[in-house]
Amino acid sequence: MSGSFRARRPASPPLGLAHAHPPPPQQNHSQRFPQRREDHLDADERREMASLGFGPRGRARTIAPGGLSLTIGEWRLLLVVVVIAAGVRMFRLSRPNSVVFDEVHFGKFASKYIKTRYYVDVHPPLAKLLITLAAFVSGYDGNFDFKDIGKVYENVPYVAMRMVPATLGVAVIPLTYLTLRALECRATTALLGSLFITFENGLITQSRHILLDSPLIFFTALTTFLWVGFTNEDRHKPFTEQWWLWLTLTGLSLGAVVSCKWVGLFTIATVGFATLHQLWTLLGDLRVTPRLFMKHFMARALCLIVVPILFYMAMFEIHFLILENSGDGDGFMSSEFQHTLGGRGMQDTFADVAIGSTVTIRHVNTQGGYLHSHAHNFPTGSKQQQITLYPHRDANNNWLIINATSDNGDPSYDPEIGPLEYIRPFAQIKLQHLATDKRLHSHDFRPPVSDVDFQNEVSAYGAPGFAGDANDNWIVEIEGGDRRDRESWKRLRTLRTHFRLRHTLQGCYLFSHKIKLPEWGFEQQEVTCNKNAVKANSLWYIETNTHPKLDDNAQKVNYRLPGFLSKFLELQAVMWRTNAGLTDRHIFDSRPTSWPRLRRGINFWVKDHRQIYLVGNPVVWWLSTLAVLAYAGVRGLLILRAQRGFRDFNNSKVVKYDALCGFLFMGWALHYFPFYLMSRQLFLHHYFPALYFAILLSCACFDLLTSSFRPRVRFYIAAVLLVVAIWTFAHFSPLAYGSPWTKAQCEKAKWLKTWDFSW
Amino acid sequence: MSSASEGPRRRNPASSASRATQSPDVELFDDRHSTSYIPPGAWQVAAESNKTSMAVVGALTAAAFLLRFYKINLPDQVVFDEVHFGKFAAFYIKGEYYFDVHPPLAKLLLGAAGWFAGFDGNFDFENIGDSYTDHHVPYVGMRALPATLNSLTIPIVYAIMKESGYPTVIAAFSAILVLLDNAHIAQSRLILLDAQLVFFMSLTIYAYIRFRKLRYLEFTTEWWGWLTATGVFLACTLGCKMVGLFTFLTIGAAVIVDLWDILDIKKGHSMEHFWRHFMARAISLIVIPFIVYLSFFWIHFAVLSRSGTGDTFMSPAFQETLRGNEMLLNSQELRYYDIVTIKHKDTKVFLHSHIERYPLKYDDGRISSQGQQVTGYAHNDTNNHWQIIPTKALPATGRGRIVRHEDVIQLLHVSTKSHLLTHDVASPLMATNQEFTTWPKDDDTRHNDTLFQLHLNDAPEGQAWKTKSGHFRLIHVPTRVSLWTHPKTLPDWAFKQQEINGNKNAQERSATWFVDQLIAAEEEEDFLNRTSKVAVAEPKKLNFFKKFGELQLLMLQHNAGLTASHPYASNPINWPFLISGISFWTQSTDQKQIYFIGNIVGWWTCAVALSIFVGIIGADLLARRRGVEPIPDPVRNRLWNNAGLFVIGWAFHYFPFFLMNRQLFLHHYLPAHVCSALAAGAVLNFVLSETINYPISIRGHLTRAKPKMHSDLGPKALAFVIAFALAMTLMLVYISPLTYGTPGLDGEAVNHRRLLSTWTLHFAAKKTDQTV
Repeated sequence: MSGSFRARRPASPPLGLAHAHPPPPQQNHSQRFPQRREDHLDADERREMASLGFGPRGRARTIAPGGLSLTIGEWRLLLVVVVIAAGVRMFRLSRPNSVVFDEVHFGKFASKYIKTRYYVDVHPPLAKLLITLAAFVSGYDGNFDFKDIGKVYENVPYVAMRMVPATLGVAVIPLTYLTLRALECRATTALLGSLFITFENGLITQSRHILLDSPLIFFTALTTFLWVGFTNEDRHKPFTEQWWLWLTLTGLSLGAVVSCKWVGLFTIATVGFATLHQLWTLLGDLRVTPRLFMKHFMARALCLIVVPILFYMAMFEIHFLILENSGDGDGFMSSEFQHTLGGRGMQDTFADVAIGSTVTIRHVNTQGGYLHSHAHNFPTGSKQQQITLYPHRDANNNWLIINATSDNGDPSYDPEIGPLEYIRPFAQIKLQHLATDKRLHSHDFRPPVSDVDFQNEVSAYGAPGFAGDANDNWIVEIEGGDRRDRESWKRLRTLRTHFRLRHTLQGCYLFSHKIKLPEWGFEQQEVTCNKNAVKANSLWYIETNTHPKLDDNAQKVNYRLPGFLSKFLELQAVMWRTNAGLTDRHIFDSRPTSWPRLRRGINFWVKDHRQIYLVGNPVVWWLSTLAVLAYAGVRGLLILRAQRGFRDFNNSKVVKYDALCGFLFMGWALHYFPFYLMSRQLFLHHYFPALYFAILLSCACFDLLTSSFRPRVRFYIAAVLLVVAIWTFAHFSPLAYGSPWTKAQCEKAKWLKTWDFSW
Repeated sequence: MSSASEGPRRRNPASSASRATQSPDVELFDDRHSTSYIPPGAWQVAAESNKTSMAVVGALTAAAFLLRFYKINLPDQVVFDEVHFGKFAAFYIKGEYYFDVHPPLAKLLLGAAGWFAGFDGNFDFENIGDSYTDHHVPYVGMRALPATLNSLTIPIVYAIMKESGYPTVIAAFSAILVLLDNAHIAQSRLILLDAQLVFFMSLTIYAYIRFRKLRYLEFTTEWWGWLTATGVFLACTLGCKMVGLFTFLTIGAAVIVDLWDILDIKKGHSMEHFWRHFMARAISLIVIPFIVYLSFFWIHFAVLSRSGTGDTFMSPAFQETLRGNEMLLNSQELRYYDIVTIKHKDTKVFLHSHIERYPLKYDDGRISSQGQQVTGYAHNDTNNHWQIIPTKALPATGRGRIVRHEDVIQLLHVSTKSHLLTHDVASPLMATNQEFTTWPKDDDTRHNDTLFQLHLNDAPEGQAWKTKSGHFRLIHVPTRVSLWTHPKTLPDWAFKQQEINGNKNAQERSATWFVDQLIAAEEEEDFLNRTSKVAVAEPKKLNFFKKFGELQLLMLQHNAGLTASHPYASNPINWPFLISGISFWTQSTDQKQIYFIGNIVGWWTCAVALSIFVGIIGADLLARRRGVEPIPDPVRNRLWNNAGLFVIGWAFHYFPFFLMNRQLFLHHYLPAHVCSALAAGAVLNFVLSETINYPISIRGHLTRAKPKMHSDLGPKALAFVIAFALAMTLMLVYISPLTYGTPGLDGEAVNHRRLLSTWTLHFAAKKTDQTV
């Protein structure tokens, strides 16, 4: 499954070349593993060794880095390919000069980075940071709003921004070449592969715009390349400097993939499974001592788990450092988080809450804001004054705490005179709305929106001179305090204590949830009194607090600003929830079953009878799918044959190509099948990482099928394939570049009825 | 993971190297342990004797009946899903067609039990808490069926373990896990389907194990018998609930492993031999179950011959097979110039139009055609009347005036004298769909846009269009969109009526309409003629397979559609740990309640056993990879193949639920729980002893004699199992008021029985102490 090919080899040093490496302990194994003579290699194996760069003995280092030994000629060839690729990818990059498809989002995010306004997106930051960097260097001021597809750019260095995905898109091409070479494919195959990728219309279209998939594919390709290089090093000799270097780079690159999009987790899974396969092989090699095995294990755990995580976190650190000011993403985050953003700070406030305190009360679980009332009445139920949650600071959020037991009807009690009376658990209080002189009230009416039996309406009720009734009474139940403030468990303390308010008569809890009131409630959040309240949604805390008897010397508190780790974790949770919530249908979404068949594309941009439509190069695409199916079929047949006693796996060619194709197949499968489990909206471009592996697989199949031909013949076959691929590319290129097309040509290009361009 | 396959072990290179001196010949049986044979002690002989075994199984079964029939008449009210399944039983008795997502076998059995007990079907099980005694429903007879089947599951579980070669004590342990389980008891004392499902599932496993034990006597009568029995029981399992598919997967996995071994060249079988085995299994485990499964539906249709609540789910062709169906009463052929009302199949609104026009500009800034509004309206109104206008020359009289499939027609809105029209203007609510409007009758400029093709669903060419039964789609000729509506309502300017627009998806199933009523014909006389002579028609015949196919498809669709949230639905991850149960029934007068929850001791034991199993397997794999073979071969084979089958069974009956989006309940775990109880027995045996009874397969005439091994489980194991049973019993008794719904509990007692804080019991006392 890994990129290793020779089957009978033990995992550590190549046989017969072990001079640089001390032979393994011999004592008990001499019988079982008689030492093979050094010149045991037969002609085949010797040639294979040579192709890996294992030269004649005596030289200190006998393997080219990563098992890559390219001649000067090949490097020159590669240069030519890169130039072609750059031409294809960057041709008229400035057109169209208006917003295309998801540039709406990713362009907007770049603006927000530049204006340092906090936002929340479902994707990790790396790719967006790269795009921002390009925009920043070219002097973008962040003042364009990327509002609609088709909006013409003004004062936006959009070409520079598009250069980022385009450059990374070009960089995939040499990586393809080198990966195939490192996988011991022939130069012709590698050339074929790199040109297939070059002329893949889908990848071209995707890399020409400000989108995240091109960086994602680049890092996926980079990871694959580095991992294959590492495998080659590992087979040669583990724990050399080179070995560590390749392994660490693989880890960093893994971190980069997953920092572009979470889809990168599939790349991690691919490398993970390949690693497990390596370790399993090592475990079966009884010459590897448990100690040595642990060393192998720890090295991989360190570089392939710890390093990517650190890299990923570093990206978020940069993200937080740049986005230091409040923006439209605030509402997703907790209050503590919000207070780390510029423009969201708050003055210190008194810690001790007592009878007579004027407070503002916030809801813990939703970002609905403060317990609020205003001089408008409910149109339903009791028709009394509205109680809502309001997200902004306002004098209408101020409440006065009144003792409901001792001063009920006793106007002589004055908190300014008596001693400070703290709010202890199960204290009965009333909350008086200062601006309107009404009290927080609940009764047996159904709330306006959540019209169910177990919820009561909450209103503000009262009149000047009227002391109120028992339906104004609430019992404070302290739910928990702060670990560092022991007092906050015993009595109400600003910011530190989370509490519930139980209605004395109805037994229901003051409650709020993410349900908005209609227009008459100014679309503020509904507040009810719930008899079956979910605990999380009935928790409240006090944000600001003043009391006539507390002077400046009294203890003050403020939000504890969360550290990086808690901010990081909070944002991950928010991203996860937002991502899972993306379940709306989109007119161009598609399900995974349609991707390998290329049943439908995505309309990116239409204007003035020109169109950009994301669709692949059908020849390359279908060939890759064919290769995947062929490998699965042949491999199944081989397993059946093995069970019936055929010795196919004694053939070194079968073994080599099985390992090679097996690795690529696994890469394809792990980047494809998990999408079936996702119920969020999916698009054709989600298939691209899998497509990359499938194209490599089709090249490996080409290598196998032409392995017995003479090089010249092989080259001719490759040339024919390329000509066909390039012809199809040219045929569909107007869709990729958005260049003008006649109606007839357009209709002719509709090879499948389901391709819905031209409308 | 077939049971006990003692074929040659596939040796890894390391072990073969250590055994280099042995002959490389393929031996059928390993003889390495022949020296370790220990004859069974007197205690073991006594414990394993037939007499003991019969006594044990007899006692267990008796206890099972006792526990399940104890106060089975209480409560004498409708509990939880008895609402559904009791109702279905009543429908069987009355022969009225109904629709449900579950296959019919279990409900047929309930219906039969009801019929046997003398139930006349005249009780409608409307609400939880309705009294049975007041309505003279012989509910005890109906409840007795699941109770009996669940009681019989206990000896089957015992027998599975016994046949798998575990000692009596272990078999009793597994049986006790099911016997003393509150969840099984609660579920089987009511008119529900799960007891039947679990019963047939355990029978399937039993039959398959018997079959596997006969593998050296292949193609004998007995071998065929058990193989066929497996197939039949599989069909019965599937016939109870779709969950039976998971049992199919379990047996399927075992069969694949089995066939794979037969295919192995080292066994020396010819391909012809392999194909014989393959065909035998294909016939017995696929063809026969399918036929049996079909037969349930055949009976289902045969019994339910009359029109009932399920009619509307079915296609018109199907409905016409039901006696007394509306279709048979008044389905008339439609002719041109008839005036009709047209109704949407899914949302039941009429195609409607009125004089008001679309506003020029919508809130989101898009522009309309300002044409006359076409909406969906739920009530009867003359604005729902449409006249069918031909687009071809008609004969003066006769059959030529009938409207047929694929005719191109115009629809004339009678009260505003305008033709229905659609055009390439975005609809008010959906920018991707076309707006529908009307165009004055005498203005010919837009004639083309008023042409619609009538497309009758699943109709042969030339089929006549009928009221009620002729479900159709109306396809706009120039733009190919179909007339469609969806439950979203338009704003106030359209009086909150439903939006109608043109859907571009030609395959959209919800674009189906039908003619609800014939209002008037061209000539009064003709109209009277046609509407008056409505005789009740005889039900038509429809091919059984068509009926089956339609129903099966509907069941699957509706099953997937059960996604509404339910207060007691739970996530599968909670199930093995009993995080939350289901409140089946409450009675506030006596503070009685039935709360469906398992026996914590038993369920957690099962969960622990499964994790131990995974641990052992992992350790074994690692050890063998390093050339160490810590477990004797017979024990290892039993662990892998037999316990493996149970664990695979558990996994297949559990994990697929994670992929389902429909509402899930704790009782969906019951089949998996039985499998985990079996696995727990196997694991307990492995933990207590390094021996098993071996061999257990029946010897064929070509089979070589095998070295024997006997389990050495002694009195200690017995003591352990007795202690465990005691613990289970205590727990069972402690929470039994929740299981049996009697006696009532006061608030304090309820609080005490709330063993996990996540259980939502009713009548709990208010917390009075102040701790958090």
